[in-house]
Amino acid sequence: MSDSAPATTSTPVSTRVAGFVKQPLIVALILIAALLLLGEALSPGFASGQQIMRLLIVAALLGIVAAGQNLVILGGREGIDLSVGGVVSLSAIIAGNLMAGENSGIPLAILGCIATGALFGLFNGIGVTLLRIPPLVMTLGMLGVLQGLLVVIRQGIPSGRASPGLANFVSQPFLFGIPGILWLWIAIGLVMAFLLGRTVFGHRIYAIGSNEQAAFMAGVPVKAVRIALFVLSGIFAAIAGICLLGYSGSSFANVGEQYMLPSIIAVVFGGTPLSGGKGGYTGTMAGALLLVILQSILVTINIDESGRQMVFGITLLVLMLFYGRGRSMRA
Amino acid sequence: MIKLKLNGVSKAYGATKALSQANLDIEAGEVHVLMGSNGSGKSTLSKIVAGSVKPDSGEILLDGQPITITGPQSARSHGIAIFYQELSLAAHRTVAENISLANLPSRAGILVDQETLEERAQHYVTLFDGVTGDGFSLDAVIQDLRADQRQLVEIMKTLSTEASVIIFDEATSALDRAQVDRFFEILRTLKQQGRSIIFISHRMDEIFAIGDRVTIIRDGKIVGTKRIADTNPAEIITMMVGSHDEAGAKPAGHSAPTGAVASALSVQNLTGRGFKDISFTVRKGEILGFGGLHGQGQSAVLRALFGAIPPTSGKIDLDGKPLDPANPRQTIRHGVAYVSGDRAREGVITGRPILENVMPIHYLRDRMKLAHPVVSAGKALPALQALRTKFAGLGFPISSLSGGNQQKVVIARWLIDRPAVLLLDDPTKGIDLSAKTDLFALIRKLAEEGMGIVLYASEDAELLDNADRILVFNGGSIRRELTGAERTRYNLYQAAYEAA
Repeated sequence: MSDSAPATTSTPVSTRVAGFVKQPLIVALILIAALLLLGEALSPGFASGQQIMRLLIVAALLGIVAAGQNLVILGGREGIDLSVGGVVSLSAIIAGNLMAGENSGIPLAILGCIATGALFGLFNGIGVTLLRIPPLVMTLGMLGVLQGLLVVIRQGIPSGRASPGLANFVSQPFLFGIPGILWLWIAIGLVMAFLLGRTVFGHRIYAIGSNEQAAFMAGVPVKAVRIALFVLSGIFAAIAGICLLGYSGSSFANVGEQYMLPSIIAVVFGGTPLSGGKGGYTGTMAGALLLVILQSILVTINIDESGRQMVFGITLLVLMLFYGRGRSMRA
Repeated sequence: MIKLKLNGVSKAYGATKALSQANLDIEAGEVHVLMGSNGSGKSTLSKIVAGSVKPDSGEILLDGQPITITGPQSARSHGIAIFYQELSLAAHRTVAENISLANLPSRAGILVDQETLEERAQHYVTLFDGVTGDGFSLDAVIQDLRADQRQLVEIMKTLSTEASVIIFDEATSALDRAQVDRFFEILRTLKQQGRSIIFISHRMDEIFAIGDRVTIIRDGKIVGTKRIADTNPAEIITMMVGSHDEAGAKPAGHSAPTGAVASALSVQNLTGRGFKDISFTVRKGEILGFGGLHGQGQSAVLRALFGAIPPTSGKIDLDGKPLDPANPRQTIRHGVAYVSGDRAREGVITGRPILENVMPIHYLRDRMKLAHPVVSAGKALPALQALRTKFAGLGFPISSLSGGNQQKVVIARWLIDRPAVLLLDDPTKGIDLSAKTDLFALIRKLAEEGMGIVLYASEDAELLDNADRILVFNGGSIRRELTGAERTRYNLYQAAYEAA
């Protein structure tokens, strides 16, 4: 700040250190390092360069879903999007069919998927704002609709295949030895930082998340902003779905289901409380990486899928103890 | 026989003396009326007796014995009950359950005894037979009832305590004539049973209809007690006003705009929730005051003009052009500004930096898309300085500021792009004296620059000191206009306490 800010310099160093350590982002980074060391100890080679790159790719997939989740949660009023997993699955199937293994089909696939994601996000947003359905119920209902739709689609349509270009984009080095999906994730990180920090829309998200009534009285179009958040969440989930297709080569019905709970945990880990109004995406990126490493360690020590789900559920609940109680959910 | 006696009871909130050395006798079998203007201390007094506020000093005697009231439960055990002005009913439960909410009859200590419960509730409902209105029954759910019916349930609930001292604080505000008459009949029965009623109301006609004695409170002090039969409304108002009138109503130290000055805002027959047929004009350069008791429609009119709760009918002209107050966004764009006294709920964007709290109006009016911190700071700083806001840096959270400075930040929002009309809805609620002074200095300056300002202040002194003209609200409509030398506390109270 260029204005007079004597208090910034006069804060005692000890307080600033304490405040620094309390930053969720810092906590997440420390945990990431610790988990990598633990993984290396349990299974030598866990923290090798190649392995870390693979972890980053998986984290990027989760991180992209979590970007949308992050926006919806920031907007407050118990904002949450439980339908992201369904949109990821649907998007992967649509992309697989539209490109059918050909690079030339990529633009159409991207367009089709983003439109689909935006549409379901729009439904969610309208349900939550205009029909006043609680986000939890609305998006859970939407998830049900999507799951049913996926079953129907699977009966009539082949699963579709990723084109070589898309597969390479996700898993092969693209620029400076780094795969395209990581560049995409970095780009999304920058866009999110800009959106939240430097745009009026970003400030409005925080405003409705921290005090909706005050925001309304200050002329913020509360409903329009909230609808936009759900639309963006749908779009991010759709993008993740395309990338996921590239990662796995072909799609299967519930490929995206695994993203619902982790996307929420990543957001909370990153310092955005479920009550919304504060936090940001940088922390969420660290949170996504952290979760992926944790998951990988669980795999390494032979914990099966159900065990991993339990660990994730418990992680979220423990996180709520630390970060979730800053403000009561019900304003 | 004296039932309840207060001896030198005092209560201070910080530096504010809400009640000082209050002495009061309540006799058995009387309806004792408490009168006083907004913030005079009558609520504090009734809360002390009901146990929800602890006095700093003084003693309370019941039947001649000193008692200590440690809380509402303790008051109840002494046979003292209070009717709560803020409805305290369980919205999803039935009438019967609500009436006996405080002491549900039970079987074996855990099971609710439905039969006894309904029997007991029926007794109190019967008292109001014929005036309860459509849809009222023992098993009606509270949220399905009208406001007057809910208030009746609240009264029944209070009666069901069978207390010997009952405080009714604004218990008739939502009732119609027939309901009030029945309620008064019941009160007379209670009197005959030797019970004591402390009755707080702002309707002069009610006070003279039901009261035996009246005690007037002013600025936290008891001014005097009169027998209702020996007094009249004018005397009561004079006692409420006290010596204020010589000091108050000073002619504003500036030339109020007169005659042919263009109107900033003109309102015709505005009707909505809580007010009806409101018509007035605010001239450019004028501070128009809204006066009267709390909740007589002043706030509701201001909120309707701002579009927060759109009015149902009426015509509004802003700067000569029709204004449709569909929502705040709409009115802000057309140059309407509104500052709420409820800072925490409607003002500050909690937990966000000061800068983000100043900018939203400018973003909207300038149709901005990007929020550059340096550019924004250049806009925000002059606005904050105009109010002499004290803050360490624009990046600090707004919660780091004192209440007065938070309110200054909220007001600064409106100073970047000047609105045509500024609506102030009790803007100084809970802020310190120096912040108030800064605020009113700024408001006068804005008026002199040609803004039209509407000020609702719950503190009468603020209104008399700052408004060029005062419209006195009573029961949702404008009762009287006070201009020039008419702006006295006496006239203000008289219009405010008239039968609505």
